[in-house]
Amino acid sequence: MKVLFVCSAGMSSAIVVNALKKEAEKQGLQVEVKAVSTQEFGEEVKQGWDVAMVAPQVRHRFDQLKQEADAAQVPCELIPPQAYTPLGGPLLYKKVIELAKKS
Amino acid sequence: MDKIVNFLDQHFSGPVARLAEQRHLRAIRDGVISALPFIIIGSFFLIIAFPPVPQDSAIALWAKAHVADILIPYRLTMFIMSLYIAFGIGHNLAKSYNLDTLAGAQIAICAYLLTIMPKVMDGVGFVLPMSNLGGHGLFVAMLSSIFAVEVLRICKQNKFTIKMPDQVPPSLIRSFEALIPIGIVIIIMSLLTVVLGLDLHALVDKAVGPLVSAGDSLPGILIPIFLITFFWSFGIHGVSIVGTIARPLWEVYLAKNAEAVAAGQPIPHVAPETFFQWFVWIGGSGATLGLVLCMLFFAKTQYTKTLGRTVLAPGIFNINEPVIFGMPIVLNPTLIIPFVIVPLVNATIAYFATVLGLVNPTYIMPPWTLPAPIGAYLATGGDWRAIVLVLINITISFVIYLPFFKMYEKKLMEQEKEAAGEGVTA
Repeated sequence: MKVLFVCSAGMSSAIVVNALKKEAEKQGLQVEVKAVSTQEFGEEVKQGWDVAMVAPQVRHRFDQLKQEADAAQVPCELIPPQAYTPLGGPLLYKKVIELAKKS
Repeated sequence: MDKIVNFLDQHFSGPVARLAEQRHLRAIRDGVISALPFIIIGSFFLIIAFPPVPQDSAIALWAKAHVADILIPYRLTMFIMSLYIAFGIGHNLAKSYNLDTLAGAQIAICAYLLTIMPKVMDGVGFVLPMSNLGGHGLFVAMLSSIFAVEVLRICKQNKFTIKMPDQVPPSLIRSFEALIPIGIVIIIMSLLTVVLGLDLHALVDKAVGPLVSAGDSLPGILIPIFLITFFWSFGIHGVSIVGTIARPLWEVYLAKNAEAVAAGQPIPHVAPETFFQWFVWIGGSGATLGLVLCMLFFAKTQYTKTLGRTVLAPGIFNINEPVIFGMPIVLNPTLIIPFVIVPLVNATIAYFATVLGLVNPTYIMPPWTLPAPIGAYLATGGDWRAIVLVLINITISFVIYLPFFKMYEKKLMEQEKEAAGEGVTA
């Protein structure tokens, strides 16, 4: 599964990305994850991602990001704040799987 | 407490955050950000030109002899940064309207250049005075770029363009489409600058003068800092909102400081973006490196012990979302208090240290992910006293966070005990 993360600069989500990767490994799921900034998101989301996850601290831009994701037909959701920590891997994994199933 | 928080989030931070997403503000923000790599690299040539080594060393003597040449890369990047920014604003605003982004960027550049009167120089011919393309011209660049792209949009929306038959290739159609809006922009801008002889730069300078001096004062520094941590307290990226309004001003200070250094004059401004980055946001917004140290040395719960280890490395590189959401600080009254206070204290100390000449004002922009002592050293053009200031501010941050951290830990310990108790009975 291919998961795209977006946060302000693509830096902080890189840390959360690792948490997700670890959890996915535990669950035996192959994931490809990438973190980008809000500026890069519009272009990147078109490159064939399965789901897009928006970091909680840029939720004020969610409407616009969602629009861009919708245009590329990628399901897109906000990450709950409790999942956006280095220790939030399991919750984050759950959210990603839920979102992927919905689509 | 929850009520207050909800009320503020719904009626204040939420609406303001959305306001910052307004189309033109967003275009300005992304336009300025797009120029930062040029500013970062360009500014480094100032260190090469004025290396932090003894005046009589070989390197210093070499640099002194070649200073004008060394500064050429700086002159053609950071020194004329508003040209890059105008391009970025035009591109981003056109993108938000789904217009041709290249046309948007070009028409923005055109409008901006037409605010400057070329001069004739003996033996050289026509020259463009560069200073109005720099920090000096940033506000003009913002206005003229928006004006130009708006003309482009209005023409396109009202089908006020030259139509071509369908057989004509698309690239040709596009260039014909742009003819009328470009014509309008050129005529209006020439009318202002050439026929009426208006110096838009002097005009805008006067208009924003009070703002420029206000933003450089102690309240002008503390207010944006308070707002940034305030937004973060609700889990919203504070800098990305406050910076939308304040960053142009911060970049003007940086550009003017760099210009002063390059010209060998005293450095005029305290508060470029680099001041906040290196003296205040040590470890990320809220100066949370101190909190990370609290966790490392005093953590008693399993949770904070683990968290402390995982957030140390990102914290050193000024990434602290793991702390803000992991602790969490967001919507956590106990930790929001120091989270708001520490940066205000850090900034006040750094402000007086700078004003009193105890450290150099910042004028170079190192990438924000460097560890703070290194970043501060480079940003001040190699002033070792900046490292001392950073260490003092880290210590202060640690001392202020500690009692609040301990209070919060007590709560966590009770929770862990409860959880453990439940585990036994279950």
